[in-house]
Amino acid sequence: MTQRMMMSVIGVALIAGAAQALAHDHFRVIGTLTKHQDSRLEVKNREGKTTAIKLDKQTVITQDKKKVGATELKVGQTLVVNAYGDSGDELLALEIRIVPPIAAGKTK
Amino acid sequence: MKSLGNTVNPVTAPPGPQHVPSTRTLAVASGISLLIAVIVLLVAVLPAEYGLDPLGAGRALGFVALSQAVAVAPVPPPEGDTLAPVQQGPVALYPGQYKFDSRQFVLGPYEYIEYKYHLAKDATMLFSWIADGDVMHDFHGDPDGAPANASQSFDKQPRRRAEGSFAAPFSGIHGWFWENPGGETITVRLTTAGFYTAAHEFRFDGTRQARQVRSLDAIPVGE
Repeated sequence: MTQRMMMSVIGVALIAGAAQALAHDHFRVIGTLTKHQDSRLEVKNREGKTTAIKLDKQTVITQDKKKVGATELKVGQTLVVNAYGDSGDELLALEIRIVPPIAAGKTK
Repeated sequence: MKSLGNTVNPVTAPPGPQHVPSTRTLAVASGISLLIAVIVLLVAVLPAEYGLDPLGAGRALGFVALSQAVAVAPVPPPEGDTLAPVQQGPVALYPGQYKFDSRQFVLGPYEYIEYKYHLAKDATMLFSWIADGDVMHDFHGDPDGAPANASQSFDKQPRRRAEGSFAAPFSGIHGWFWENPGGETITVRLTTAGFYTAAHEFRFDGTRQARQVRSLDAIPVGE
């Protein structure tokens, strides 16, 4: 019986996991880097919403169209992050661009 | 040397009558697992993630509402007439009126938007758009029911404006991706008319919105 239950749990986990992977959607987060710790960022957009974003080894970081390392990410920089996840709150970064600060009055 | 007496050395002891499940037991257990997984998929995962509710249980349990909270569901084909043309020589006749639409999109620094209409195969559309700054653009289409990577690009030449006509090569949603590549706000104005049945707006932040297209009844009749 225990084996049956374990196999059931594994089966459910596999199906649910596959569905979760398929459900990932793409997001762009534009804002100011407010926190950078290990492989985790927090970016605050102009509406004041903070989004947590994880980095992995595949994350590409660029500045002036040149690849740079994660150590170049500094609090206060303006970032354009293309990421994916199953909601806009916890994302994995695919690409991060360090861009010039957005001047006040140049946004909507 | 100390005698072990009647104790059994667990390393060298011959295998006892341990319970090893039979192939039949394993097959039954696997079948039950699969059945439970399929039930969870149909009752919870599909309704919650995609808004698909084949059993109706997802709506009863409130899972369908979850799918609507996060805009990840694929765009469904519109219900009713798809306005597919019937060609009669040089004339194409449609089973309904053409629609028109006019939009203005304000793109903040580095933002992008996609705006697409559902057209049946061979249905036509006239379009005109203009941007007040340099934008990256891609006029493309996504076939009905196809995965996201099945998108086909029709025109992605750099331009600030375009006027033209379009005949859909397949049934699906067709339209534009515009991206503001710089730090200044850019406005894009779009006007279209055609045999489309629905419009969809997709924004950089993952939000998705159906937009109303107008019928000819909305045009005041001139004297």
